[in-house]
Amino acid sequence: MLEQLLPQLVNGLTLGVIYALIAVGYTMVYGVIELINFAHGEVYMFGAFLCVTFITAVGMPFYLAIVAAMLCCAAIGMFLDLVAYKPLRKAPRLAALITAIGMSIFLQNLAMVIWGSRPLPFVQEAVPAYLNETALSFSGVYLTWLQLFIFGVTTTMMIGLMLIITRTRIGTAMRALAQNKTAASLMGINVNFVIAFTFALGSAMGAVAGILVSVYYNSLYPTMGYVAGVKAFAAAVLGGIGSVPGAMLGGIVLGVAEALGAGYVSSLYRDGVAYAVMIAVIIFRPSGLLGKAVIDKA
Amino acid sequence: MKFGWSKAVLLACVIALMSAPAYAKTIKIACASPFSGPAAAYGDNVKAGVTMKVEEINAAGGIGGAQVEVVWMDELCDPKEANTVASKIARDEEIVGIVGHLCSSAHLAALPTYTRTGIAAISPTATNVAISDQNKDRKGLVWSFRDVYRDDFQGKFLARYAKEVLNVTKVAVFYENNDYGIGLKDAFVGEAKALGLSIVGEEAYVKGTPDFTPQLTKLKAAEPDGIFLSGYYNEGALIASQAKKIGLDVLKFGADGFDNMDYIKLAGDAAEGTYITTPFLASEAGPEAQKFLADFKARYNRDVDYMSANAYDAAGILLLAIEKAGADRAKIREYMAGMNSPEKGYTGVSGLTYFDEHGDAQKPAFVKVVKNGEMLPAQQLK
Repeated sequence: MLEQLLPQLVNGLTLGVIYALIAVGYTMVYGVIELINFAHGEVYMFGAFLCVTFITAVGMPFYLAIVAAMLCCAAIGMFLDLVAYKPLRKAPRLAALITAIGMSIFLQNLAMVIWGSRPLPFVQEAVPAYLNETALSFSGVYLTWLQLFIFGVTTTMMIGLMLIITRTRIGTAMRALAQNKTAASLMGINVNFVIAFTFALGSAMGAVAGILVSVYYNSLYPTMGYVAGVKAFAAAVLGGIGSVPGAMLGGIVLGVAEALGAGYVSSLYRDGVAYAVMIAVIIFRPSGLLGKAVIDKA
Repeated sequence: MKFGWSKAVLLACVIALMSAPAYAKTIKIACASPFSGPAAAYGDNVKAGVTMKVEEINAAGGIGGAQVEVVWMDELCDPKEANTVASKIARDEEIVGIVGHLCSSAHLAALPTYTRTGIAAISPTATNVAISDQNKDRKGLVWSFRDVYRDDFQGKFLARYAKEVLNVTKVAVFYENNDYGIGLKDAFVGEAKALGLSIVGEEAYVKGTPDFTPQLTKLKAAEPDGIFLSGYYNEGALIASQAKKIGLDVLKFGADGFDNMDYIKLAGDAAEGTYITTPFLASEAGPEAQKFLADFKARYNRDVDYMSANAYDAAGILLLAIEKAGADRAKIREYMAGMNSPEKGYTGVSGLTYFDEHGDAQKPAFVKVVKNGEMLPAQQLK
């Protein structure tokens, strides 16, 4: 029983940091405009497909293709905001939520039209060979360079994101918007620009998550965004929706809970365990792990 | 007088337009499978097979001069959707028969509608055992046929194969949590225990999750010398490569759900040495099948899998019944129910098909093995 603990923890952590990367996109958008962007999972899926397309059709090297896919997804994120959410800024929140679900279905089917419904393998020839080699192996744990790469990339991106939010003018503007949109615009902040920037940033991070997942599992398919999206949403809620460090912690907790749940309780309850943890947290800490109890703006 | 003439011309035009459909008459059949959603890739295989058969017949002049039209019904492999689709088909009186459904769960959900309203369906791939009992109406008439063997046959066959040919003793079972995965697993486990194999671990997974390492880590701890994968190739490929990654390098075997070249494409090296049972083996099929294989490859730029081959034959059986019995729902059923002996059977690319009293096809199982990135015939069980 115990000899399984370490490998399961590593499984859970790898999954968790990826959830965290997607969850950050949800939580940032929610923090700024209080919208659950259900199309975020599809942006993640597009990231993976675009990266593969850049490698196969354009012939880009792996790392450049990642950057190109991030830029494209940032554009998709801003486009989503422009087309689907901006016209509904003053509408009831339910309308925007339904549009988000609509965009999610639209993007999923668009991907199916462009790339077909069959799952594709990631272009392994383009991936640097060392990534698939075992980096560390101790007491039954096999860590590949790819896993270390995933940890490294996510950590760097998270630190970068925290720096942007806390140390830059646009980060300050984002936080101001999260506090009070009207007051922020009165202070001369270009609200629409900041919102577009938030979408771009979250989408670019989602794209990285999509690419890492498709390299790690060597498989990408048009519906891959759905489950990932639901899990990341749960992670964002678990951490306290609107809180960026919360989303990171939530993702990791969820990933580890899932792996341990599957390993020790029953594999059928894998998702059940993850959601049970989330529900338990919400019952005892309604604002999530790191969320602050906010008094509703009445 | 002039006015009268133009009126007469107009009337003639209207009559000509109204009678036009009589010349361009079409026969409508439905094909119900998942064409979008998580199982869309499997539906794509069925669509390819049915499309090829129908185009062939239409190119040869159709049935009695009428062209065949397929109404594609997307049910997402979801029982709820399948139910809706089934009522839609039953209500459309122009549709005379159905190829589908792909998934056992969807087929089971659609069955009550078909038996109640009296329209025959032939499934190319639904293998669940329960279908045999639930495809009859109150008078005991069978309304659903299948051009594929049942899970219990295949599961038992695999257990015997594992013991007698693969020589494994400690088997781990990893199954998909749906009607197909569970039905197959139950048949396998029952027979394996009876044959004296020991089942050292049973784990399940849900479609759509990409990560199987927690379950595989657990199975690895049980130290099996063989692992039975009861599910489909998309998840199977991920499982094979993840098993290799965590160092669970034992003999793998699965059922017809694995019979697709995408399995090798997705799993790469990890697919090597996987044994797969299938109702369709290209090398065992006759010359007519070889032509089908070549045409399929030319048209879709991929190898035929058993789903496409079975769908091609299932459409063939349905269209033969329409040709012989006419475009009448009840007569089509009657004709198919009458295909109950080798002499009255249908010879397609997957071999001879005829139905027993439950509408189940009697088909042999073949075994393939993945070697050097190809699926080759393995030693057959006698």
